[in-house]
Amino acid sequence: MTALPRPTGRAKNLVLFLVLSAGIATGITIFSSASTVVEWLETATSGLFLPILLSVIITFLLDPLVQLFERLQISRTTSIFAVYAILLIVCFSLLTLIGPPNWRSMLDALRADFPRYIARILEYLNNLLASAHTQFPYLENYDISGKVRQWTQEFLGLILLETPRSAMRIGSLFLLVPLFSFFFLRDSRRFMRNLISLTPNRYFEMVLDIYDHVSWQLAHFIRGRIVEAMIIGVVVWLGLSLTDIRYAPLLGAIAGVTNLVPYIGPIVGMVPGLVIALVDLGVGPQFWWILCVYLLIAQLILDNFILIPILISRVSNLHPLWVILAIVMGGKLYGVLGMIIGVPIASVIKISVIEIRHYRSSFNSAREILTNQRE
Amino acid sequence: MNPLWSNIFRKPGYEGTLAYFLGTIPTFATLGRRDLVFLESIIHLRNYNPGETVFSEGDIGSGMYIIRSGRVRIEMKDEQGVSQVQADLEAGDFFGEIALTTPRPRIATATATEQTVLVGLFRADLLDAIRKHPAMASKILLGLTRVLSERLQHAGLRLREQSYAHLKSVQEDQA
Repeated sequence: MTALPRPTGRAKNLVLFLVLSAGIATGITIFSSASTVVEWLETATSGLFLPILLSVIITFLLDPLVQLFERLQISRTTSIFAVYAILLIVCFSLLTLIGPPNWRSMLDALRADFPRYIARILEYLNNLLASAHTQFPYLENYDISGKVRQWTQEFLGLILLETPRSAMRIGSLFLLVPLFSFFFLRDSRRFMRNLISLTPNRYFEMVLDIYDHVSWQLAHFIRGRIVEAMIIGVVVWLGLSLTDIRYAPLLGAIAGVTNLVPYIGPIVGMVPGLVIALVDLGVGPQFWWILCVYLLIAQLILDNFILIPILISRVSNLHPLWVILAIVMGGKLYGVLGMIIGVPIASVIKISVIEIRHYRSSFNSAREILTNQRE
Repeated sequence: MNPLWSNIFRKPGYEGTLAYFLGTIPTFATLGRRDLVFLESIIHLRNYNPGETVFSEGDIGSGMYIIRSGRVRIEMKDEQGVSQVQADLEAGDFFGEIALTTPRPRIATATATEQTVLVGLFRADLLDAIRKHPAMASKILLGLTRVLSERLQHAGLRLREQSYAHLKSVQEDQA
């Protein structure tokens, strides 16, 4: 009689063991297949980040123009085509008037000049180190100039390697970006409406209202940021072309793009221009003018006193700590591109949170009004 | 007309469309077919189960509802906090139109009493329309204003009648 429970106990153990191992096996299978699925997704979407980002930017820029046409009782699709046609004509006439920008020779020249600039920086650094060594002998162990040289050689190799590949990528951008922005312009409203209509009846009105507020603020902010970067870029370009400096358009573009990152961006955007000016022109009136263009005209007068107060509301101001965090996290995720767009994305999140909080507080005050009325 | 031609020119099933339905609502009665099609693109269709709350007293209102099908009960709480039925609305009726122009708390509770389809027109969409299609939006707003001012006049007349009746009864009492 006592022997009977033991086999059942064993059977139970066996069943438990089987169930456990089956569970673990299923878990591992699901996990590994999930990770392969995630890998597939990553591979499939890896090239899409930049075109989608550019398309979103273009969508935000073109939307007011499309609305202008829509006001003339033209359908949205036709309006988008009209805007595209006008842009095409403008680009074409600019190309025929000014001539195509000589990107290729500019890139070749830059490739030839780049080592020269680096060499000059190294020379300068070595001089600095030599004087430092006499004062602080224990610095001898640090090979700073060697590190810089190694880093620049790696960077140069990367540029040489990436140029043909990026040429192909730029070609695909010219195809994908107009296509994506067309559909974003035409269908984004319908898409968002469909998404919002999924919310339960009870919260529908609130979600619709909050979405309206947030999207209005966001469109304002993103458009403001883009226009600000463009104006800064053009002003730096014009200011620099008054001097003998080379690559003025490129430096303008760098200044414009880096201007998207507050605090740190303008300084980083200034460095290449100043290095080129130092190496090619030396310290003289032209160098001081270039510094003046970067610091005084572009940053202080234009950006701080004119553009930011007009284009960007104070709501989007981020604490410097958040700026640094956003840059670091963005850099981890998407490299240099992530560093640049990390801060605007952080601002977007902040604006959304503030709008939702604002809506909730007005919701509560409305309740108070009603209860006061009843009393 | 030749049946062949009439078949070609007739838009089949327009009577069943949402645009046609919107045209039968007094608020939008003066709108043309083109405006109604535009209106159709900015409204939301919502389905409600019997007993489901559309909005409660004190919610922030952001728009009006038109009943496409089904029934909606409007209730208000009196001084003791007991809810009193104000109206039973059916297909073609609309409610909540005050909230369309100003964000005010709802003064009544609306509940669907059967399977109901509501057409919602909300402030966010109307403001968007004012920015993008000012001509059409002003037609819609004009229709709304007409209905609201008719109601205001009606309410004013009723108030005056009541105050006259009250005055009369006071005078009779004095006499």
